[in-house]
Amino acid sequence: MLLACCDIRRFLAPGQLKPIPRHPLQTSRGGQYRIGTKKFFGDKISSVLAKYNRIVPRAPQTHSLPTDLFILNRSEPVLEVHDVVKRYGKRDVLKGLSLAIPPGVTGLLGPNGSGKSTLIKSILGLLRINSGHGRVLSYNWPSQCKAIREQIGYLPEDDCYLHGLQGIESIQMMARLSGLPRTEALRRAHEVADFCDIDQERYRNVETYSTGMRQKLKFAQALVHDPPLIILDEPTTGLDPSQRESFLDRIRMLAVEKGKSLIVSTHILHDVQRVCDHVVILVGGEVRMTESLERLQQPIEPGLHLRVEENLVGFENSLRKRGIAFERKSDRELRVLGVGADQVRCLWQASEESAAPIQHLDAARNSLEDIFLTAIRSR
Amino acid sequence: MPLLDVGYRTWTGERTYASTRWLVVASTGIRLIWRGTWLKRLMVVLLIPSAVALFFFGVFEQSAEDPNYSNIIRSVFAAREARATAARAGVNINEILLNPTESRHFVWSYLLFFLFRYPQAFSMILVIGLIAPRLISFDLRSRGYLLYLSRPLTPAEYVLGKACVIFFLLAMIAAVPALLIYIAGLFLSPNPWVLFSTWDIPLRVLIATCILAIPTTAIALAFSSLTQESRYAGFAWFTLWVVGSVSYQSLATADQLSRREPLRWGEYSHWMLFSPYETLGYLQQEVFGLTAKVGMQWAPWCWILLVSVIGYSLAYWRVARMLRV
Repeated sequence: MLLACCDIRRFLAPGQLKPIPRHPLQTSRGGQYRIGTKKFFGDKISSVLAKYNRIVPRAPQTHSLPTDLFILNRSEPVLEVHDVVKRYGKRDVLKGLSLAIPPGVTGLLGPNGSGKSTLIKSILGLLRINSGHGRVLSYNWPSQCKAIREQIGYLPEDDCYLHGLQGIESIQMMARLSGLPRTEALRRAHEVADFCDIDQERYRNVETYSTGMRQKLKFAQALVHDPPLIILDEPTTGLDPSQRESFLDRIRMLAVEKGKSLIVSTHILHDVQRVCDHVVILVGGEVRMTESLERLQQPIEPGLHLRVEENLVGFENSLRKRGIAFERKSDRELRVLGVGADQVRCLWQASEESAAPIQHLDAARNSLEDIFLTAIRSR
Repeated sequence: MPLLDVGYRTWTGERTYASTRWLVVASTGIRLIWRGTWLKRLMVVLLIPSAVALFFFGVFEQSAEDPNYSNIIRSVFAAREARATAARAGVNINEILLNPTESRHFVWSYLLFFLFRYPQAFSMILVIGLIAPRLISFDLRSRGYLLYLSRPLTPAEYVLGKACVIFFLLAMIAAVPALLIYIAGLFLSPNPWVLFSTWDIPLRVLIATCILAIPTTAIALAFSSLTQESRYAGFAWFTLWVVGSVSYQSLATADQLSRREPLRWGEYSHWMLFSPYETLGYLQQEVFGLTAKVGMQWAPWCWILLVSVIGYSLAYWRVARMLRV
């Protein structure tokens, strides 16, 4: 659905949208506004687009359009590729891969050598594919790769930096390469460095940075030109637990509050579970699974997941006596099949009877680890 | 502590033209190398030969009014090479001293060519040998090329941006001092119409600079792209010039001995193609109009074309190839 009711102020600099004072006899409900010399009623995107006779730009000819206009249509995939084949010599790395990635945060999972990095580099046009076509952010892919790269922020997996530059210069340079004017690039670089928690280290040469700092720097470089689509390849590698949590919070915030779409390629399933709305699992150059995380985690048969403090064996015996079906998940965890009120009552009775205090009880969900292992083992 | 934490904000400005992004690579590269104090000092030292050339310009112009200056000019053209060059260009040395204004074009061209051929060519070899090896090899080592090429920048534009760093240095070493000397020569000349007789010299300076810059940059970038260790690229660079010159001297001398006739200075010999220094020198001589007017030699021109194409292609291929997973 077109987010036509969004406030246009989101896309404008402060003060750019000016209200026109009402005439005392004016009866219309909405106020009148202007941007520059153009006047229109209402402060919603629909009114502005109607005025400019433009719906959602498919392939913008001018550079002045707000990049966020690309994500107005939330139902269209931000990335859609079909029949992608990439060969290295005689080895097919991507075997006719077709994929659609919706807006939001998408986790790209797969074992080593499954083609994740090849796919990402192919999307960016860094690798030439053997065959395939598609659309990325309304641009034709792969024919418009250069324009696509202008709208994508990329955090590479590799430890890469620009030797001899300070952190802030490095971010500024990336901004300038993406088309920001020099001074604006510097302003924006500082803004993004603050956002990514790069403090005074920004004035140090990047080759002196620790792995965690380099990761933050790469994230800042990926964000500096305010791209609507951000691709993060192993983004939390080298971060300590608190930095990792902050990093994941930032990713989530960008998706929820700023409407960005992110593709997170990672091996860390916890990160995917924490931030992703959607999961794509690649195995051997093919898409093995693509589904929303919410749906994937719903078990086929509803049940309850519980953890007891002690005496799991006694607890199990009590459940058996009551005819409750269950399966053991670990030495303190059980999955109880069924979620009826009787089952819940029986659980508490069994807990009391066996002196096994329940520590945790909630609706059972498929773990991402199980989903991942099932996906890579299935043929 | 953040400088001004305003959180993440969207950016809605106007972007610069996509076709000019390689200039960012060039300007950043120039800024980076210019930070080295040693380079600034070296560049100042390398300007000393230009000051000497300017001195001779002034002396020559004054010799038209004051014959006492002729002795200095005579000492310049007493050298065997200068006499040979003048003879090839059809200029009589005595005529230069008797009537300096008539030979102004030749003298100016010769002084500027001499500047290019010796002091500035050696400066070029030294400065490029110290700066160029790190241009691509550092990016290969730190994988910085991934950051560049994940932006709207092609490998060709990346190589062009890096080449511009060397072009800038060569312009500072060769074209800028030569043009400044020319302009100073115009002001030092008592004859206000000197511009009309020497208008083509700035063009020759620019062409000579291009001849110097295009193939040498190609060679330097190719060496830099072939390794992640800049010292190997630097070693290869200096070796090329030294081995090339030694090969030429050895082969030319052997040839001369076998033919029992002296090899005249500045004349074309196929052995030149073994030495980049001699080949570039010959072409610059041709550009300044100081070669024998019996016919153009195509082999050196083909040589620089071939070297340039191979050098830039190699650099491009290496950068593009690094993108493979």
